[in-house]
Amino acid sequence: MENIKEDLRQYILDEFLPGESASNLKDDTPLRSSGILDSVATLKTVTFVEERYGIEVEAHEASVENFDTIEAIEALVKSKKG
Amino acid sequence: MDLELSEQQQQLQKAAIEFAQKELADDLIRRDRDQVFSAEGWKKCADFGALGLPVPAEYGGMGLGITDVIAVMEGLGYGARDHGLLFSINAHLWTNSLPILKFGTEEQKRKYLPGLSNGELIGANGASEPNSGSDIFSMRTHAERRGDTYVLNGTKTFVSNAPVANLFAVYATLDPKLGSMGITGFLVERDTPGLTVSRHLEKMGLRTSPMAELIFDNCVIPASNRLGREGRGVNVFESSMEWERGCILANYLGLMRRQLENCIAHVRNRKQFGQPIGKFQSIANKIVDMKVRLDACRPLVYRIGWLKEQGKSAMMEASVAKLFVSESLVSSCMDALQIYGGYGFMVEQGIERELRDALGSTLYSGTSEIQRNVIAKCLGI
Repeated sequence: MENIKEDLRQYILDEFLPGESASNLKDDTPLRSSGILDSVATLKTVTFVEERYGIEVEAHEASVENFDTIEAIEALVKSKKG
Repeated sequence: MDLELSEQQQQLQKAAIEFAQKELADDLIRRDRDQVFSAEGWKKCADFGALGLPVPAEYGGMGLGITDVIAVMEGLGYGARDHGLLFSINAHLWTNSLPILKFGTEEQKRKYLPGLSNGELIGANGASEPNSGSDIFSMRTHAERRGDTYVLNGTKTFVSNAPVANLFAVYATLDPKLGSMGITGFLVERDTPGLTVSRHLEKMGLRTSPMAELIFDNCVIPASNRLGREGRGVNVFESSMEWERGCILANYLGLMRRQLENCIAHVRNRKQFGQPIGKFQSIANKIVDMKVRLDACRPLVYRIGWLKEQGKSAMMEASVAKLFVSESLVSSCMDALQIYGGYGFMVEQGIERELRDALGSTLYSGTSEIQRNVIAKCLGI
């Protein structure tokens, strides 16, 4: 099974939090509501998960609740992969 | 990263310099004054291959890699005086042809890319709006899906090439409440009912590159002209900006190199107080500053090519290069003007035009302030 959480953590650290320690980006660290992911960064993250996991995310699914934490994104990916 | 051009790249660059020096030198002072786009120059550039540099041969282009393209663009920038024409070519390539190549359907590629590459079609890009410039994704131009069509309403401004373009890559929101996820790209042909190319905008520099506004009034386009997926226009736009910010700067490497060579020749030959003016430290220092800027700029531009060829993102690096090269260019134009003194202030010399053109580079494709914002964001700040 792919380690979706670790993939997401590494992607977010590389793209949006360079230099930050992985230990500071926890599964439940707020991403959208804290400003780590703004709307454009969210779209980049959506594109990343689509390409990485072969899924399609609709516009209404890129909501704050689905993309506010690593664990929420993982849940969305798992629900899409079935 | 190897900064040395390959033998093939050197040949391409040499050919570009010779072509531009010979073919793109006509009547520029008058055309700059009267804001005249050179259709003849455009066709010559098409015949040379400049309009299809990165487009694969199967779609009518030359199929060059990005570093090859940068080498050619550097050569064109060195050889050509008409940087308005080069700016138009960059707008055409990076905000129209390349998005079609990267995000278009096979049908769109086959329909448009051959014409865009051979000069029959001129491409333009409509993103900025009267109330959304740097805050580009707050755009108000709206697209509504109706059956097999989209209906566009809104206004785009600062559209380079608009007065002469046949095909527009346009961005509109499907629903402002969706924010960036609502923005979608579309291809709109010039003769589409409901599209008006409005007033010609007069500019300080790059005056041979025409600019106008676009007005969409219930402009109906087929759904097959959507560029990329619904709600993914930001990806299309950001990709085109990344390419444009990288490649448009290559022209300026050439311009800075030519300017430096001309200034060195001038300070060796021009004598005041019984000696070449280059012997005066205050003049020599300006030459040195121009040289340092050029040498610092060049790796920044070629790094973008190297990163893209590795399949890596160059978002931050493109902004670093855009910021540094554009501001260095302005500084070097100012130095050249001072070095030439009163002669530099004369239109005939061309330096005042290069300075006016250079000032545009700190504004288009994201102002210097926006580049700093992008870099700060990429640094996690």
